[in-house]
Amino acid sequence: MEIVVLVKRVPDSEAQVQVKPDGSGVNVEERYGMNFFDSLAVEEALRIKEKHGGKVTAISLGPSASVEVLRTAIAMGVDEAVLLEDEALQGGDEYAAARALAAAVKTMPHDLVLCGREAFDDSSGVVGPLVAQFLGIPSVTMVTKVEVMPEGGKVKVEREAEGGKEILSVSLPALLTAQKGLNEPRVPPVMGVVKAMKAEVKRLGLGDLGLKPEDVGKAGSKVEVLRYVEPPKRRAVKYIKGEPQEMVKELIELLKTEARAL
Amino acid sequence: MGAVWVYAEHHDGKLRKVTYELLGKGRELSQAKGAQLAAVVLGDDLTGIAEELASFADKVYVLESPLFEKYNCDAFIAGLLPLVQQEKPSVVMAGATSQARDLFPALAGKLETGIVVDCVGMELKDEGLVLRKPVYGGKVLVEVTIKGEPQLVLVRPRTFPPVESGGQRGEVVKQEVDVDPGGLRIEVVEIERLAGEKVDLTEADVIVCGGRGLKSPENFKLLEELADVLGGVVGATRAVVDAGWRPQSDQVGKSGKTVSPNLYFAIGLSGAIHHVMGMDTSKVVVAINRDPMAPIFQYADYGLVADLFQVVPLLTEELKKELGR
Amino acid sequence: MDFRLTEEQEFFRKTIAETVDRLIVPKAEEIDEKDEFPWDLWREFAKLGYMGLRYPEEYGGMGADKVTCMIFYEEITRGSVGFAQSVIMNMLMGTHFIYRFGTEEMKKRCLIPAIRGEKIGTICFTEDQSGSDLAATRTTAVRDGDYWIINGTKQWITNGPICDFATVVATTDPSLGLKGLNFFLVEKGTPGFSPGQVIKKMGCRGTISGELIFDNVRIPAENLLGEELGKGVKYLGEILDEIRVMTGAMALGIARAAYEEALEYARKRVAFGNPIGKYQLIRAKFADMATEMDAARLLIWRAAWMMDQGIPCTKEAIMAKMFATEVCQKVVDEATRIFGANGMAMEYAPQRHFRDARFLLYGGGTHEVLRDYLGRLIIGKL
Repeated sequence: MEIVVLVKRVPDSEAQVQVKPDGSGVNVEERYGMNFFDSLAVEEALRIKEKHGGKVTAISLGPSASVEVLRTAIAMGVDEAVLLEDEALQGGDEYAAARALAAAVKTMPHDLVLCGREAFDDSSGVVGPLVAQFLGIPSVTMVTKVEVMPEGGKVKVEREAEGGKEILSVSLPALLTAQKGLNEPRVPPVMGVVKAMKAEVKRLGLGDLGLKPEDVGKAGSKVEVLRYVEPPKRRAVKYIKGEPQEMVKELIELLKTEARAL
Repeated sequence: MGAVWVYAEHHDGKLRKVTYELLGKGRELSQAKGAQLAAVVLGDDLTGIAEELASFADKVYVLESPLFEKYNCDAFIAGLLPLVQQEKPSVVMAGATSQARDLFPALAGKLETGIVVDCVGMELKDEGLVLRKPVYGGKVLVEVTIKGEPQLVLVRPRTFPPVESGGQRGEVVKQEVDVDPGGLRIEVVEIERLAGEKVDLTEADVIVCGGRGLKSPENFKLLEELADVLGGVVGATRAVVDAGWRPQSDQVGKSGKTVSPNLYFAIGLSGAIHHVMGMDTSKVVVAINRDPMAPIFQYADYGLVADLFQVVPLLTEELKKELGR
Repeated sequence: MDFRLTEEQEFFRKTIAETVDRLIVPKAEEIDEKDEFPWDLWREFAKLGYMGLRYPEEYGGMGADKVTCMIFYEEITRGSVGFAQSVIMNMLMGTHFIYRFGTEEMKKRCLIPAIRGEKIGTICFTEDQSGSDLAATRTTAVRDGDYWIINGTKQWITNGPICDFATVVATTDPSLGLKGLNFFLVEKGTPGFSPGQVIKKMGCRGTISGELIFDNVRIPAENLLGEELGKGVKYLGEILDEIRVMTGAMALGIARAAYEEALEYARKRVAFGNPIGKYQLIRAKFADMATEMDAARLLIWRAAWMMDQGIPCTKEAIMAKMFATEVCQKVVDEATRIFGANGMAMEYAPQRHFRDARFLLYGGGTHEVLRDYLGRLIIGKL
């Protein structure tokens, strides 16, 4: 099976993020790594390859520093890696990113495309399905289980839905986005690290993707950022003191009157 | 002037709570824009639902077909796409639910239009429809506008209040459904419901969430009793889900569910950032933890530095008396 | 001068740091509390193949440069000192002389399984009456036809009581002092070779330190690890710099663990209405700790770099070891103070780093001996 995984370099969830004084952007602490949900996608791709044979290619759209997450993917066992670091492709929204990524996927055989359910920085979850539409293939989001069907050409997936789960059969080629619970990503062995350190990462630019400047980056974006804002600060916590019995009584009183939550 | 549409998600013959929230906001928005408010609903046997929607909207588009009985991305897109292309709404709103998060980004791709997911604020300004959404896991908010139309917006449940009252007499228009079942690449094999009629965390009014401080899975019984008295649901942190004490579907947090209840109890949990990102828009937060250093107190309105094993049963008892349960 | 790590080294550093955070850090407290060898973690970690880091690929290793090795030692020690000591023993002191002088058979029996974590190796220098004073070694090796007979008792041997094989320092002629010392390979199951008492330690818990008893242990002649008799100390000299710099890297790992805990605490702990990180004296502590840890890092990496270049670095290695160790003592002290009373609570990590840091003052050479030695090297023979 030819499997393609989309991975993104994002800030660590513990990184400090602050809105710039003029609200035009954010200052992010230099702590980056592979988007958590993408690591689930990489792991699943590797498991499928190990069970059914084939090849796994990882693609990342980002600045040259993104080569790091591609190396992590290789260290885990991915066969090839492609970086879209062309300046012209950067700085756009999820839509523009999906255009570029889809164009990259189109340059290679793909039976199955996997990615995380959402990226930590955008917190949107739209790139996967958009890429699928641009490729003309079906998408299923938030999958927690993937099974390749023996008859070939189909996968059986489970996805999370409120109040339970949906079990679907999907024709390949298809795109699936990974949700927590899909698997436990492997720790890369040292030999993988060595391989990753020596690996050649292929680069594709605007020309290679057959796209025009207006298709990508800021020009190709549908969503325009006006400003960044600090989230409303909760008022400082009110500590309720005393013996347990007293605490409980006071809490109930406050919830009733002040908070009006009861 | 393109209309404002509300995607009416329904479940077991009833409209989902978020649909009522969108109808309320939708009415406000359509009036501000001087446009019509329409609802669009897909399913099988929608008469009752269509009637109800007609009491809140100017128009109700009904797409009825056995192919829509269960949610299926391919089928739903095949149904919605021609309708949207024909009627050209300016805005289509849906709740940021599992279904909409699956359907609408794909629809955006088909329509080549913009989409914003997990909107927590919406205002019509000079710049256009300004949407507010959390980014970086909720550490920061961003205000955006969508270029072109239709603008697709998925709204976080419980962001807007539910619509006040019906009383409209909207026009119900049953659409021709022309979907080729052979062209569908997705097939629904089965829908598994969780045992018991449980309110989903994302829709709950009250959530009682527990972490490792509960010490063992059996102790979650204390939280279940408290939740029962309050008419709420029990949630769990990543730590206890990973330890196998509670199911993944109970997890509140970045890799679990994002919730926004009226009342949130954070019990025996430290308040690690990935958890907090999943609940910090809760209206009132009560934290109970014997560790005064626990970060959760930074995100709470009321803090009890106490032994939960003493406080929680007492709280349940007192609330039983107070609420007469 | 380029002070940066290469892209490969940086990638290695990031990957091992994440691996340590995922696998080792969550188990560190339990390892310290139980003071038992963590078999499950050992097997899981061994599968990743890191123990072959400094050996060539033909033995399942990676042939990594010394800077990369130092990065590894630092990170794994940051995770858990008890666990790190076992890992490092298996990949350095406990196997080096077999790699260097052993027959292919011995390498198959001991080196390769040790790299795979299937066997536990160790090295035996210390005895009850001799630590720094190696010349006072009383364990003897007497030739008997095609055999050596080993007699004596070794003490403070890391994982001695549970090892599968040991490199033993024994004298073939006590009158020659240091020039009578040699390395011998002794394997578990050899009659007369048995574990003795286990030492209960205040820190570095998780390694089983204790006695090894050699009672007329007969080993084949080929088990002499070396080309000539009496060259034991010379052979040791080949890796002494590396052992010292490695100890420095371990010190930096412990310091970082304590430092990072203290940093988080200073940002969160509130006193007099502010996080304590806002107060000058607390800030000063971090300024000093960061400066000294950075200086230690530069000494360690510089010495490692010299090793990679083949430049003799005895002085630089001693400087790195001593400085990093002494900085570490200061950092673990300050870290526990920043925690106030919580610095003493078993529930918080600083007390564990405080207890663990002690061993650095004599492990890899006592500072009293090292200081004197370094001074002598500088001033020269008078």
